[in-house]
Amino acid sequence: MPEALDTLGVGRVLGTDDATPLSFWVALGPDQYLQLDDVVALERLLPDGDTVRIYGLVTEVRARHEGARFDSDVFLIEDGILPAEVSQAAQILATRFEPEVFVPPLPGQPVYKAEGDERDMALYFDGMEKRLPAGLTRDDEPLYANLEFLDGSRGAHVNISGISGVATKTTYATFLLYSLFRSGVLGGEAINTKALIYNVKGEDLLFLDRDNRELEDEDRDRYQRLGLPPGAFDSVDFYASPRRDDPIAAPDVSTRQKGVTSYFWTLSEFCAEGLLPFVFADAEDDRQQYTIIIHNVVAKLRDAAEGLPDGGIAIDGETITDFESLARMIADRLQDDLTSADWAGRAIGQGTVNAFVRRLFGAVPHLKHLIRGNVPNPDRHRIQRQAQVTVVDTHNLNDRAKRFVVGVTLRRAFDEKERAGQQRPLLFVVLDELNKYAPREGSSPIKEILVDMSERGRSLGIILIGAQQTASEVERRIVANSSLRVVGRLDAAEAGRDEYGFLPAVHRQRSTILKPGTMILSQPELPIPLVTQFPFPAWATRASEAAPAKGNDDGDDPFRGLS
Amino acid sequence: MAQRVAIESWDPDYGVPSTEHTEETDVEIDVGVEVPEDRWGPIPARTEQRPEALLFIDGVRRIDANAWLDDGRIPVRQGMFASFAAGAVRVVEQAHVDRVEVRRTLFAPGNPEAFVTRGGTYEPFGVATPGADALSSALQERLGDLEVEVASRVADNADLVVVDGPLYRRAHLPRTIGYVKTHRVQHLKGRPAETIAVLAAGERTPVFRFRTSWTRHAWYLRLPGPKAHAWSGVVRMEATADLALDETLAMANLTAGVLPRYASEPHKDPRAPQNLYPIAGLERELRRRLGDAVYVDRALRAAAG
Repeated sequence: MPEALDTLGVGRVLGTDDATPLSFWVALGPDQYLQLDDVVALERLLPDGDTVRIYGLVTEVRARHEGARFDSDVFLIEDGILPAEVSQAAQILATRFEPEVFVPPLPGQPVYKAEGDERDMALYFDGMEKRLPAGLTRDDEPLYANLEFLDGSRGAHVNISGISGVATKTTYATFLLYSLFRSGVLGGEAINTKALIYNVKGEDLLFLDRDNRELEDEDRDRYQRLGLPPGAFDSVDFYASPRRDDPIAAPDVSTRQKGVTSYFWTLSEFCAEGLLPFVFADAEDDRQQYTIIIHNVVAKLRDAAEGLPDGGIAIDGETITDFESLARMIADRLQDDLTSADWAGRAIGQGTVNAFVRRLFGAVPHLKHLIRGNVPNPDRHRIQRQAQVTVVDTHNLNDRAKRFVVGVTLRRAFDEKERAGQQRPLLFVVLDELNKYAPREGSSPIKEILVDMSERGRSLGIILIGAQQTASEVERRIVANSSLRVVGRLDAAEAGRDEYGFLPAVHRQRSTILKPGTMILSQPELPIPLVTQFPFPAWATRASEAAPAKGNDDGDDPFRGLS
Repeated sequence: MAQRVAIESWDPDYGVPSTEHTEETDVEIDVGVEVPEDRWGPIPARTEQRPEALLFIDGVRRIDANAWLDDGRIPVRQGMFASFAAGAVRVVEQAHVDRVEVRRTLFAPGNPEAFVTRGGTYEPFGVATPGADALSSALQERLGDLEVEVASRVADNADLVVVDGPLYRRAHLPRTIGYVKTHRVQHLKGRPAETIAVLAAGERTPVFRFRTSWTRHAWYLRLPGPKAHAWSGVVRMEATADLALDETLAMANLTAGVLPRYASEPHKDPRAPQNLYPIAGLERELRRRLGDAVYVDRALRAAAG
């Protein structure tokens, strides 16, 4: 038995509860304690002389009075009237057997706290060639995830569940990105690896490039313990939706003035790239008859539209520079007896056409500032993934417009990756509210992309870090294809659902009381999920936290657009 | 011929004579120790006193098996395997079981040999006369010795030592009182007997001298609890007669001030209130330490072959 083990004994396997290879209880010695998530080890000698080392995690700790028979005996015991002893015991779920002989530990065997190499063995960190720092234990020991299950070598994708506001899903996703980029785990590839993040709520992600001035020394230490330099993201581009009815399309953000570019699509892109289906990306669109019309119109627009400077189009000699006019033109063509067969397709009923038109006009107010041909130098407003991290802000958009933006950008990223034909460098996509884009029921163009991404992204080098409040409302295949599953605070009813079957009962219970900054991380190699904390963000998450910008900001010309 | 052992297949509880100390009836009583007989009346407790360290001593016994020992001689001798334990509860701020001694003994007439089982070794104890009664009283005696042994090891720094049962053979222990829960015979008559009947909770009778085969001081005390009949909740204390009277009285007052606090309640203990909580807790612990009866029985049978 290693010397380290001798000195760290905390208790013995008890014999009043069954000890099984997967779960057993340990009675703690006097003046010893174990807390939840502690890692322990023990050795069992087999009759043939071989030794099996058993490693495990503390999942439950209990204390009780021995010698008491009635609940009220506690008062007698505390008053010194009835003799009793306090006994403490910890439940261990086994994580690893070395070698793999699945025997139970024997009652009476000493149990040790695993530290250093022992702990790495227990948590399989020893076998991880590329270790991605994924958080810390409560006593600030680093926890790792195996990069091979994230970068596509053996698995890919992350799925994060948790209640909004308490579960800190987005913050954890950004922490994982930060760790990927800064821990050195990607080696030389880190520079070319990119991330695309959708900012769906508030303006939290608009300060990723600024140091967090509320970061305490203690938090810095925690970054150091993880092998991460505390700081902001190096290279970030921010794109925000344009203000409505603003002729120069200034970005619609309130807390950040500089370094944010507005994005929109030109009408010529809209027609040439066939983006119309993303206008009809709602769940209700899926059930309608008019999908056939969409495809006809897409084909028609691709053929008929000629691009104009500033992104407008001309169809049959008619110049169109805004989405509303395009919608009206499409409606005219569909409803005109002369052109309707050509545009809508043959044998399409008037009712179906009307439904399509109604829907199209319904989208106009929400999309007209995103699809336009009336702003000079539209190329400047195209989302380009030049920087390491590209933030696309959609928080001011309504759901239909959000779906359009997410759908179109995802499709573009996916197409580019597919065309490049190379898995590396990787592209990470962070998307919250997956339940909106890939709901369990129905199908939509975005859902198809996301499912495709979850199934083929591993080989294409496009990795989805998806998040949602409730995994039960998200398409099963997307969750199932995620190698890393993360759970923050869950609603008690949600925690009981089958989607969280990877959590042992104790972890399910704990998921309902997790504090912000604590997550439960499940990865393929470990049979038991790890409860992990991640340090306070080293980058600003709101304007008040943002330290002054370093050096020159790109594009902080306040007169842009006014020339 | 080596000793051969056959374990009686009947449960040892059958036919066990009761050898609790039968109270002797040939008694001589002097009720005028503290006050003259005509001034007998309840003495209330002064104030509740808390000695710094208080000890309770008790023992338990269990007959594990009756056996027949065969070493070639006729008749075959009847023996008895017994486990017994004595222990102490020390109350300072909290009550803790302080010391427990467990013995396993083979009682038999003559010179039996030690008997090894996988549940432990039964040390031999030779009894002078054959018969179940002799075995049983030998066990009771050995248990008494063990209680004395435990008490003398732990009693040093206690202000009061309460021994469960009469003080018989333990009178030499310092600051020790015997605590008698059951009263088969009423020794007092007349006014003293009436005094017992009118005791209120926490009150004691005056001290009297009590002589059977040996002499001690004694007094009655009523513990708190429902008063179903004149004697409910009444216990008798015994202290050595060697003590000076003022020391005896001080001890009597101390018990009246201290012990009611430890009286048990009927829903928790069928022998309430006399079976004091610390003693009940100690007995449970001692029984546990005797080991599982079924396991011990199996070990005995396995060893007997």
